[in-house]
Formats: sequence, C-alpha cells, structure tokens
Amino acid sequence: MLFNSFEFFVFLIVVYFLYWFVLKKSLKGQNILLLVASYFFYGIWDWRFLSLILLSTIVDYIIGHKIHDTDDDTRRKRWLWCSVVFNIGLLGFFKYYNFFIDSWVDLASRLGYTMKSTWTLKVILPVGISFYTFQTMSYSFDIYYRKLKPTKSFLSFAAFVSFFPQLVAGPIERASNLLSQISNKRHFSYAQSVSGLKLILWGLVKKVVIADALGPIVDDIFSNYGSYPSSTLLIGAIFFGFQIYGDFSGYSDIAIGTAKLFGIELMSNFKFPYFSRNIAEFWRRWHISLSSWFQAYIYVPLGGSREGKLKTIRNVFIIFLVSGIWHGANWTFVLWGLVHALIFIPVLLLGNNTKYKNTVIAQDSMLPSVKELLSIFGVFFIVTIAWIFFRSASIGDAFSFISGLTEFSTAPYFHPNGYRMADYYILVVLFLCYEFIIRRDERAPFNFKNRYVRFLVYTIMVFAMMLFYDSGIDRSFIYFQF
Amino acid sequence: MLILVALELFVRVLHLGKDSPARYIDEFNVEKWVPNQGGYSVTGNRRMNFAEYHINNSGYNSYREFNPTLDKTEIALVGDSFIQGFHQDYYDSVGKKIENQLDDVEVYEYGYAGYDFADQLHLMHQYKDTFDKIDYVVLGIRFRDDLFRDEYKVIYDRMRLESSMYKNARKIKLLVYAQGIGILDPVKKFPGKLISFFKNSSKVVVEPKQETAQEIEEKQAKYIKNFESLVEKYGYDKSKYVLLLDKSETPQVFLTYLRNHGFKYIDFGESLNSSKTPPTLVFDQHWNNHGRNLIAECIVNAFKRFSVN
Repeated sequence: MLFNSFEFFVFLIVVYFLYWFVLKKSLKGQNILLLVASYFFYGIWDWRFLSLILLSTIVDYIIGHKIHDTDDDTRRKRWLWCSVVFNIGLLGFFKYYNFFIDSWVDLASRLGYTMKSTWTLKVILPVGISFYTFQTMSYSFDIYYRKLKPTKSFLSFAAFVSFFPQLVAGPIERASNLLSQISNKRHFSYAQSVSGLKLILWGLVKKVVIADALGPIVDDIFSNYGSYPSSTLLIGAIFFGFQIYGDFSGYSDIAIGTAKLFGIELMSNFKFPYFSRNIAEFWRRWHISLSSWFQAYIYVPLGGSREGKLKTIRNVFIIFLVSGIWHGANWTFVLWGLVHALIFIPVLLLGNNTKYKNTVIAQDSMLPSVKELLSIFGVFFIVTIAWIFFRSASIGDAFSFISGLTEFSTAPYFHPNGYRMADYYILVVLFLCYEFIIRRDERAPFNFKNRYVRFLVYTIMVFAMMLFYDSGIDRSFIYFQF
Repeated sequence: MLILVALELFVRVLHLGKDSPARYIDEFNVEKWVPNQGGYSVTGNRRMNFAEYHINNSGYNSYREFNPTLDKTEIALVGDSFIQGFHQDYYDSVGKKIENQLDDVEVYEYGYAGYDFADQLHLMHQYKDTFDKIDYVVLGIRFRDDLFRDEYKVIYDRMRLESSMYKNARKIKLLVYAQGIGILDPVKKFPGKLISFFKNSSKVVVEPKQETAQEIEEKQAKYIKNFESLVEKYGYDKSKYVLLLDKSETPQVFLTYLRNHGFKYIDFGESLNSSKTPPTLVFDQHWNNHGRNLIAECIVNAFKRFSVN
C-alpha cells in the first residue's frame, strides 16, 4: 500500500477514526490498533515477511531485557552481539547473500579461477528490512549504553518496531523518541493534526510533482546515456538529484505527517540538503535518521574523531562505505559512499565540519550572498556527480556516463514520449525557489501568516499535483528497494 | 471546499478541461452532434493539445455547411474520430487540406467518434438523397475495430452520456479535467479492488489469452461476413465509394475479398509508415498536421485518378 495511493487514503481515515473516536480512552487499545494496522499495512505487500518483523521484535525485546538485567559487561556485550548478529544476519541473508556470492565468483574469475555461482538463491528482498532491523538494533544499543530502560510492554515494543508510517522507508527512529511516545498516553491535538496534514500535502507534492514527473526523463537518459550528448547527461544527473530528493524526502514528510495525525512526533529526515554550503552540512541535512544512526552506533564507538587523524579518517571511510552498502547490494553504492568519504575528509580535517551547524543559507537576509551561492552550487555539483554512481546499473555504466559528461557536447533534449521539457525546467526552478522560501523550518512548509496567501499556496500545490499527475507510471518510492 | 472552488476557477481560466458537445439521435435514427455548437478539445494535464471544434448545421465538426448539389463537385469523408477531428482546429482539418489542393471541390466531413462501418453505411442509407448528390465518398475503416456488427443499432451506452446526471457533471470543469487525466481512476477502481481483496483473488492475474490461428481465421471470416451483410442491407455504390484503410494493418484475406468483389480502397499506411517525421500527435494517437497532410494527399491522388476515369 503506497502512501500516494487511494487505498492508503481510505486506510488512514479508517485507522484515524478508530484511533481517536473509538479507542480514544484506551492506550492499550490504541496500541493494539497501531500494531494491527501496521501489520495489515505491511502484510498487503507480502504477509509472509511479517514473520521476520515479528521475529526481529521478539529477539530484540528479549535481548533488551537480558542486557538490562545483568551488570556483567561481558554478558551485556554478548547479548548486544546477539542482537547485532541476528539483525545483520537477517539483512545479510535477504539483502546481500547473492551479492557476496556473485562478487566472490567474479573476483575468483578475475584471478583466473573459474567458479560456478551455484550457491546463489532466489531470495526476495523484504520491503523495509534495512529500516526496521536498524530500528530494533538501536533499541538494544541504547539499552547497552544505558541510555534507555527496556520496556515491559511487548505490545508497545511491537508497535514501535512496526509503526506503519515509518516502517518501510524510515525515518529510522530511536526507541528513546518513538517508544516513549508509544508507551505513554497521547492526546488529540487539532494543531498537531493540521500540521500533520500540511506535511502530508507537502510530501505528496514532492513525490507527485517532482519525483514522479522527473522519473521518466531520468530513466530515459540513464538507460540510453550512450546516445545522448553531455548537456542531456547533465540534465539526467541533475534531475535524478531532484527525483531522489523529492521521492525520499516526500516519503519522509508523509511519514512524519501521518505520525502526527496519531499524536506522535517523528524525527526530521531532511532539512533542505541542496542548500548546504559544504558536504558536512549536506550530511546533516540528508537522510538525517540514517546519518545520525551511523554516527551514534558506529562512528562514536569506533572512537569518532577523538583518537587522532588517521583513526578519524578510517572511521569516516567506514561509515560512508557502510552507508553505501546499506543502500543496496551493488558496488555502485559502495563507490557512491567512497566518493562522499573522499569529499568529506578534507572538510573534517580542516575543521569545517561543524561550520554551518546551526545556520541556514541566507540566515539573516532575504537572498543568499554570492559566496553562499557559489558554495551551494559547488556542493550540489559534487553531490550530483556522486548520484551518477548511485543511479547507474554498474560501475562501468557510471564511469561511461561521467566520461560522456566530459565530452562537453550539446544538443537539445527531446524525450521519446514527447514531453514538453520547458515545463520540467520551470518546475525544478520553481521548486527550488519555494524550498528557499521555506528553508528555515522543514516541518512547516506552509508557514505563511496571511491566511489568503496560505489558501492560495494550498490551491497551487494541489493544482500542481494535477498538472503533473501521470496515471501511467510506476508510483512506488525509490527507497523501498533499500 | 474553497480549494475545490479555486481549482475549478484555475481549470476554467486556463481551459484545461475539454468541452463536450451534446449528442442526439436525429429523426433518421442517426446518432450525431447537436447542430451549431462549438468549443475546445483539450488533451493532457497541461493542455498538450488544444483544438477548436465547430459543429455545423448537419451535426458534424466542420468549417463548412453541407449543401451538396448536382452542379458542384463534392467529396464526403465518412468515419470515426480521425475524420471527426476534435484533435485539430476545425479549420485545419483533412477536408480543408483536400480543398486546398483541389479547385472547386467541397469536402464534407461526416466524422463521429465511435462510428463503425455499420454507423457509416446506415448514415449514408438514411441520407441517401444527400449522398446521391455527392460525387465521391471516402469511408474510413479499420478492420479490427469497425466490423463487429452486421446491423446498425443505436448504441445506448454512448447516449447514456446525455443523461442529465452526466450533463450536469460535465459542467464541473474540474471533474472533467480530473477524469481526463486519470486522477479519478483509483477511486473508481477501489470498490473492485476491495471486493477482490476480500475474495482473496487479488493475486490472481489473468493472462491475456493468445488467439489461435483458427480463432483469428474465424474472426476474420465473421468480420467479412458482417461487411457483406452491411453492404447488402444499406447499399454500397461501388462506382463512387472508396474505403480508406491502412493496408499494413488489414488482413490479406479482407484485401483479397475487396479486390475480388470490386471494392476500391485507398491505402494510407504506406505513406504514413514511411514518413520520417511522426504523423501522429504526441499525447494522442490521432493524426497531427503532418499526418493530415499525408492523408489529404492520398485522398487527392485517389480522387484525381477517379476524376480521370
């Protein structure tokens, strides 16, 4: 069931009604409803994989208690490793097993040993496995680091693991934030519901108007990059940057907005990343829940930046490479992570990684300065080049694409389906302008004081969705495959 | 609610929703457009194709009135939406392009979306006096779509669109626009999906059945039989009637039948298929300006040969 489907709309109304009007007085009832709704939501895709979520829930629920119940550090660590091995094992089997077998066979054949890939299995990737395994692991980690006490309520914990708004594509929540809200009584707030609806609207706009509209153009250019000039390849790479941003941040906004409807606040996942002034700022603004997860549970335990430059560089490489492989079982993602690590390290070594921590572009002015503009163009350019690795089917394709870019050939681009390209160029510019206007608060996309302006903006947003709605395309979210 | 009103306003101001002319069944039991109305046909979310239509006194989209006489030379084009031409400005139609190439010839376009061969022959039969005065009649036909029936009957499904409910719904331009871009499809399909979900049949995918050679043969024989029946029932003047078809999409058996029984035809397929520039619209399968030029050229050439003979 997709967030951008009519089925979800009906599902949401039904669950919302039961939640606030039928089960309003019963926390347990509300949590049972959330759990049932979440399992139903997930089971619509493939009910067989509900068993994985349930298993992951049971294992980490028990492990959480085991870690907490002992003061013996060795035993605590052992239990933590049990959680890590179990969750990474699940992920490894369903997501990476065939990848590693194929890579091993490929490596052997490059070294002159012919091997047959007879061990690969027909494994379906369960939707959202990368997200909920990381979420349950964070629970065990937090208990291990004594930041959290395990919950006694299995129901609350199960609802935390499977909470449907963020189950399949995040934000990857921490138990300290989400579980505590699920365990406590929620109160209906009109303002929170309205704020949730606004975020849902903005998320849908990003998905339908940006991601879905640009998707077919990106697909065409990346599929036929060999027959297009550099100018077209540049359009493809830039559009992909906007497509994936619209798609993923749109999903996150709908998830956060939906959670708000149930009185629950999720963490922000995107904060206008394309207005970043250096790559460190970009990573504080892009997929925040994953970056902060890696920082808290890998980078810091490895020593972070406290143990000398060499170890800092090593740690940065590790988290970016892990981040790359987390996205998918393909070396293109590893290379994407590597590119980001290479760009990030100089910023870190120069001590500029926290430079823009608490400010946004044009913090105290209407327009950005020339220096800021140059910075964001620079970051955007590098990020766009890195996206080529992310989007390409293979490393060879990515390098050929980049090689095509460096030929500096130009010609107007015509989509095979005859899309009026001017519409899309204007669309991207208008989208950037609007994002700039709302850049100060990612959770308030329609924060205009004048009610008439607000009304006009809502209307334009809905109208834009109609103008770019395409019934004939695959409307699923890109990050479902991760 | 206010947003819906504002959207209706946007759609109207930008003219994104197509206008729908009213249809009726005339005194000769022929389905056609109500005479003397005009409007705009719109395709695509963002007005990718925008064309003006004008329904004349005879109930067809045309730049001229149909007044055939024995003194003048007239050509009639009879067919479906391709001849009807809502996808083009009415003053730039195939008929107009033919007139531009021939001196002192009037072209009458009897086009109506959905007209099959039964509709066409029935129309000509009912308006025999008119068509007797016309010198040359071109009937657009697509074998796979136009020979389902062996007798004309009013299609009440189409006429249902003239019920007051549909008429009123069409006044809401936002609804027309939303329907046109397919945004209402998920809503319409939802009850069916819900039923199949509870019946647990959602995972059953019915593969489209591949027709066997024998089935294809039987179908073709049936269509040819329908053609024969229609010709017999409503009459067909082989001396001045000519079929307009795409040979590449027409089964050989039908072409052989036409040749053996003295039915003349114009093949436009060769001209369109060999064209280097696309002959159809981008957001619509109908002929674009270039396509209409090619069609007009085919008909003009055929007419010139007919005139010489």
